[in-house]
Amino acid sequence: MDELFAPPGTPWQRVSPRLVSQRRLILVVLWVLMTGALVGASIAVMQRTLALWIVVVSLVGLAWCLRLVGRSARSWRYAERDDDLYIAHGILFRAMVAVPYGRMQFVDVQSGPIDRMFGIATVRLHTAAPGTSAVIPGLPADEAARLRDKLTMLGEAQAAGL
Amino acid sequence: MKAPTEENFRRLSPLTPVARSGIVLIAVVGATWREIMSGEPGIVALILVGVLAAGAVYGFASWVRTKYWIEGDELRIDTGVVMRQSRRIRIDRLQGIDIVQPFLARLLGLAELKMDVASGNTDGSLAFMPVAEANDLKELLLARRDAVAAPAVETDPETGEPAPTAPPRPVVPDVLLHKLDLRTLLVSLVLSFEFFSLISASAAFVAVASLGGPAGALTGFVPVVLGLALVGFRKLSGFYRFTVSDTAAGLQVRRGLFELTSQTIALHRVQGVVITEPLLWRGQGWARLDVSVAGAQVGDSGSEVVSTTVVPVAPLGEVLRMSRHVLRQLDPAVVPISGIPDRAMWVEPLGQHFAFAGLDDHLVISRSGLFARRTHVVPHRRVQSVRVRQGPLMRRLRLADVHVDSPPGPVHVRMRLRDEQDARRLFERAVVLGRQARTSAR
Repeated sequence: MDELFAPPGTPWQRVSPRLVSQRRLILVVLWVLMTGALVGASIAVMQRTLALWIVVVSLVGLAWCLRLVGRSARSWRYAERDDDLYIAHGILFRAMVAVPYGRMQFVDVQSGPIDRMFGIATVRLHTAAPGTSAVIPGLPADEAARLRDKLTMLGEAQAAGL
Repeated sequence: MKAPTEENFRRLSPLTPVARSGIVLIAVVGATWREIMSGEPGIVALILVGVLAAGAVYGFASWVRTKYWIEGDELRIDTGVVMRQSRRIRIDRLQGIDIVQPFLARLLGLAELKMDVASGNTDGSLAFMPVAEANDLKELLLARRDAVAAPAVETDPETGEPAPTAPPRPVVPDVLLHKLDLRTLLVSLVLSFEFFSLISASAAFVAVASLGGPAGALTGFVPVVLGLALVGFRKLSGFYRFTVSDTAAGLQVRRGLFELTSQTIALHRVQGVVITEPLLWRGQGWARLDVSVAGAQVGDSGSEVVSTTVVPVAPLGEVLRMSRHVLRQLDPAVVPISGIPDRAMWVEPLGQHFAFAGLDDHLVISRSGLFARRTHVVPHRRVQSVRVRQGPLMRRLRLADVHVDSPPGPVHVRMRLRDEQDARRLFERAVVLGRQARTSAR
């Protein structure tokens, strides 16, 4: 990783590798639906060769997207420091946010049905600014709960008035 | 004015229902006048008059039920015809009291008393009462509030006589900070985008009409012209006699031609300021100052942030002076700002001219905009979070953006297209300075 997104003193903690599997599963399901629809449409208009081409091209596309999704999911990382939390992610579009504990107004843990299948959850932080999109997906469920409790406690302890 | 008590409670003015719903009254009367005068009221007229009568009865009942008095250290307001409601406002928690006169109320000589309470959502308002009474009540409440804050008289333990007390706190008069004169306001309205659009639309209208264009095209111009004229007129009536004063409760902004409004800004709740220099005003050297203020409701559900124009139009020097006052003596003009590197022109071709940013120990600043140059200023102690972003093109050019997040409002500091290494340093520095500012402000 380059200097711009280097860890701030404390080393980066990675999220669970199960996030990769979860994201890939969702991608495959969507791919099946989309390709199925296109193939079905082209068979309906009696274009067998077109259907075949669609399958080939979209398989290549799927392989590429799977790799991209994997890299992107593995890029999520966070670092807990004394006064703030750093979260970084992204391969193509990279971003990093530093949220002071004192500015955290709520902390949510969310877990959709597919997340629950993989035993992961997403921690979401809110400050008074809507632009602070501080999200950590793919945390193992117990780690997500621990982080939420810790952040809530620190948020109250260090709360700075608006 | 004698303080109202439970036995001597006071009522609001009986003209209150008229002032509140005057427009409706006029509309209904206007709609049914002909029918009533001709002596043959139709069904619609009867229904409207019936509704009006019901409204009048409800208004009267509501007036009878509304009472206010001072109970102990609270102002108690009882209202409600069907659902009784008793609201209590703690006098010692009053942050500010504003007297507001909406248009119709002003014609009737009435005013509304708006009370701003610190840390709570029991903001109260008493509408409407005669102006003189409103002023007296305001004096009374503020005197009570200040009396509660003053120490009680103590007795000297040896002699048993009242000990000499400190002299009473002097009443600090309001200081006028800024006034907008009519000439500047009018010239600024002329030098605005809306006015130029109005002129061009009118010119086009005249051209089409004189060339014998179809009548339909002509009627299409009318709403455009009216709309633009309305915008200009609203600005004129909104900023007429605009003054900013320093009061004990904060900065008070009073303005209005038809509707006199006043807003009080508590300086410790200011989140940031924006100084806007529109292109059309550059010739005169004028600018505008908007301030982002967090509302009185501090709670878990976030805050309401209000954007207030503290200086609608004034020379840049005056705007900077007022911004220093709003930021409690922090000076945006001394913050060192830098432009963007040459290679950034691949992303933002004209960026050298308008993209600047920088920070010092107290403030973060970013400036952008080719036509309307906007300078966003946020003090470190008001920063919510700091972000750095980099897209693929920017990565090739070794550039990054650093954003400083504030509560929703007109202020957003975006330090764009910084060199990569500078970006990381700015990011870290903003984080450190934010922490220091938060802990020292306590």
